[in-house]
Amino acid sequence: MNNEALIEMLAAGVKPVPRRDFAQRFGAGLGLGLMACLLLVALALGFRPDLGWAVQHHTFWVKLGYCASIALLATLAAARLARPDAGALGWLLWLAVPVCALAALAMFDLAHAAPDQTRALWLGASWKMCSGLVFLLSLPVFGGLLLGLRWLAPTRLRAAGAVAGLAAGAWAASLYCLHCPETAAPFVLVWYSLGILLATGLGALLGPRLLRW
Amino acid sequence: MRVTEQQLWNWMVAGLGGDALAHRQLLAALLPMLRAFFRKRLPGQGDDIEDLVQEVLIAVHTRRVTYDPNRPFSGWMFGIARYKLADHFRARGRHVTIEGLEDILVAEGFEEAAIARADVGRLLGLIPAKQAAAIRATRIEGLSTAEAAQAQGIGESDVKVSVHRGLKALTARITGGRP
Repeated sequence: MNNEALIEMLAAGVKPVPRRDFAQRFGAGLGLGLMACLLLVALALGFRPDLGWAVQHHTFWVKLGYCASIALLATLAAARLARPDAGALGWLLWLAVPVCALAALAMFDLAHAAPDQTRALWLGASWKMCSGLVFLLSLPVFGGLLLGLRWLAPTRLRAAGAVAGLAAGAWAASLYCLHCPETAAPFVLVWYSLGILLATGLGALLGPRLLRW
Repeated sequence: MRVTEQQLWNWMVAGLGGDALAHRQLLAALLPMLRAFFRKRLPGQGDDIEDLVQEVLIAVHTRRVTYDPNRPFSGWMFGIARYKLADHFRARGRHVTIEGLEDILVAEGFEEAAIARADVGRLLGLIPAKQAAAIRATRIEGLSTAEAAQAQGIGESDVKVSVHRGLKALTARITGGRP
């Protein structure tokens, strides 16, 4: 087909594109993924029985705040990288704030713990499962984000895949808080973060393949 | 006639609002811009250029939801064009030619010598040993022509000719025969 005919064809069926369409497409994928993840937590793992008690204590909110702040930043970055002119992403360095804050809290807890308690602060009762479960729970969210990104136009595919993985991991960790009874800051810092990093790595690995257009 | 950024933006925004005429004017104005963009980067590959131009036009149409009117239009459009170009190279397993490689090799300073040395060593393996030795002595180790000639036990003019031919051969290797 020659270019003039192509242009005629493309211009023939022009419909208005409202500005909210971008957010709708991106949000639809993310929403689907979050729903699937929440269902998995509720049905396969179950909410922690003492959830009503936990939400009255700061340790629950520290954990959730850590995961959710990373999730929000990474989701914003993924939305930026869904555009061909994503621009500089230096502001992602703000991710250091939740990480450093939780690290400081972990140090404080460890410094004030009896020597025979430090092991429990690091390992809790579920360190063997935690990272793996966060990673598994991140998969539906990651799939949803990929779906959204594929409708859009990312051009830095590895970076887009990585931040999508980071967002998926952090969202999954946020929802996992509804199940996981661990409260110690060192535990969250190590095992939650490890799960989130695994998801990020998977995203960086798959981005260039799955996001091509 | 060169279309201004403002004009392109006006057409784009009108097109996003559903104005088919503005959208067609936009795509028609992009045609020569894209041809020039790809022609400069893929000299003498007419069919590939036309394919890429069409791909970008289609993407500008089908993915226009990703354009944010608060940002410059050309940045967005050339972002797509650059992506399609990179994808083109990736798909063909080709590498972008290093611009001015001969200048880089000849440059006095070798500022990033530490990083470059490994690559240069590999490249020098591609040309005859005598030429490689002459280039290594005069351009990397910094010997004078006379010193290099003495070290290798050959004449000064022989060293100069070897360096010249070696650099030419390297350039040819890397650009795939094109000057």
